[in-house]
Amino acid sequence: MRVVIAEDNVLLSSGLELLLGRAGFQVAAVAVDAAGFLAAVREHRPDVTIVDVRLPPGFSDEGIRAALQARREFPGLPVLVLSQYVEQQYAAELLATSGGGLGYLLKDRVSRVDGFIDALRRVAGGGTAMDPEVIAALVQRAGDPIAALTPREREVLALMAQGLANDTIGQRLTITANAVHKHIGNIFAKLGLAVSDNGHRRVLAVLTYLNAAR
Amino acid sequence: MTTRYLLGSLLSAVVTLAGLPVWLVPRAARFWAAWHRDRAGWLLAEPRRPPFPAWPPSPAWLTLPGRPSLRARITRARAADGRTLRAVLWLPVNIVTGLVLGLPALLCVGNIAVAVIATPLWWAFPFEERPRLFIDVPVPDWGTALTLGPLQIGLLLAVARWVLPPPARLHARICTTVLAYETKERLADRVAELTRTRAEVLDAHGAELRRIERDLHDGTQARLVAIAMRLAIARDAFADRPRDDDLLERLIRESHEGIEEAMTELREVIRSVYPPILADRGLDGALAALTAGCGVPVRLALGDVQRIPAAVAAVAYFTVAEALTNVTRHSGAGSADVRAGRTADRLVLMISDDGTGGADERRGSGIAGIRRRVRALDGTAVLDSPAGGPTVVTVELPCGW
Repeated sequence: MRVVIAEDNVLLSSGLELLLGRAGFQVAAVAVDAAGFLAAVREHRPDVTIVDVRLPPGFSDEGIRAALQARREFPGLPVLVLSQYVEQQYAAELLATSGGGLGYLLKDRVSRVDGFIDALRRVAGGGTAMDPEVIAALVQRAGDPIAALTPREREVLALMAQGLANDTIGQRLTITANAVHKHIGNIFAKLGLAVSDNGHRRVLAVLTYLNAAR
Repeated sequence: MTTRYLLGSLLSAVVTLAGLPVWLVPRAARFWAAWHRDRAGWLLAEPRRPPFPAWPPSPAWLTLPGRPSLRARITRARAADGRTLRAVLWLPVNIVTGLVLGLPALLCVGNIAVAVIATPLWWAFPFEERPRLFIDVPVPDWGTALTLGPLQIGLLLAVARWVLPPPARLHARICTTVLAYETKERLADRVAELTRTRAEVLDAHGAELRRIERDLHDGTQARLVAIAMRLAIARDAFADRPRDDDLLERLIRESHEGIEEAMTELREVIRSVYPPILADRGLDGALAALTAGCGVPVRLALGDVQRIPAAVAAVAYFTVAEALTNVTRHSGAGSADVRAGRTADRLVLMISDDGTGGADERRGSGIAGIRRRVRALDGTAVLDSPAGGPTVVTVELPCGW
């Protein structure tokens, strides 16, 4: 699987290259700014991209804007955005682009290699990987409708919104995939969402719901 | 309003005359004059502080250490001398203007009262003592009472409405002119105030630096030391024969977890120093993100918030963040408003909600934190939260232009 990385910090990008190489990914290009990233995407047509939010020259949100631009040019291009901090606002802007294949994670998560590689694979496969911090903030903000859920259902909701599959959620909570399935049915019923078993469409429905709810 | 002002002026003239010995005491003279100056300013609609209750006195660590410098005291004393002199000279002016300009108002109000009583009750008076309208017209029957009474009331109300304001303004203007601060005094006051606030700002800023230092020293730095120690042991143990793989695994795992915790802490410290979203999006973008992420719907009205100094923008961001946290946690509000904009050299923030009010700073709400940060920039923070609501937090921050 070919990856294009946009990361200006050499220490981090070489770390990522090492980590991705060991996990069997092929790093096609490492760009150090937004323009370089867009050029590399056009040239290599990667299977998945990893983008740092802050890039030269302004070191503000160039990465987010480059990711949005790349997804406008190549609809559905899988993008995993990495950042030293997470903002709901950025998650919302990324989610507003159509199609799946989206990830937004704290850089901290990279150090949990298995989880990170799993997230990258999910994004590459058109799935979603949202940072637990983003989800926690969204769930907290959503307030009332979420309060109708049982604590267990809330746990399942949080993990599902991160983009995890049923069996992974089951492993995390040490319950069966079947129980997860049942919980999800209840959650969708309580939130008034149409049940959909298709992996990432389900996640997008939940995220869109959380994003809009107050 | 102007009639009330004139009646007050008349009363004040009488009180000034009656209590003349008291008003010759410098402190009393200055107080009496200052009170009238404010009153006149209010009539002339000079800008005043917003009608919000003041903040409670500042905590001990914010008060000035020791006495003000000798020079500051001398400057202030000189300014006070000039003010006393003018206040004493103003006393006769106040007596004369108060009597001359206040009497017509008294006559006007008095005759309205006469008409109000005479119109329905003229018959209750003995014949020779029948009340007189229009100064000297006795009221013999209902016909006269019902024509002349309302006419007199109407005419005098018209006088109060259209004729009395100019003398009231004249009185106020004489008052402010006589009592106006000289430029020198104004500057002396300003210098005294700036000296005081600068000391407070330095104190508050120092406290902020110490907090950051403590967070980094006790948190992140301590963690890094612990991690380095574990890695050093692991490196050492790696060469052991036979190698204790369990120990190595534990040391590396603990190091890894320690680094993750250090990263989380560091992120918190960074956020508390300068929120990254501000660097990314500027104050307008950061406030938009903040209000969009709030648990209750927030209307955001932004004026000109471009080119706000970074330190001011950071405090503005914290203010809105803390205030909105309070709105979600304590107010029970259904919606909130955030307004931010510049007036002259200040950034003004106003966060209001339609909640239950009764916010109490002492019950550990984030308002103490807002005040601490606002003071560090020589700004003002005002909380208005009557029981039953609404709650309004107003913060003004000088931008140094």
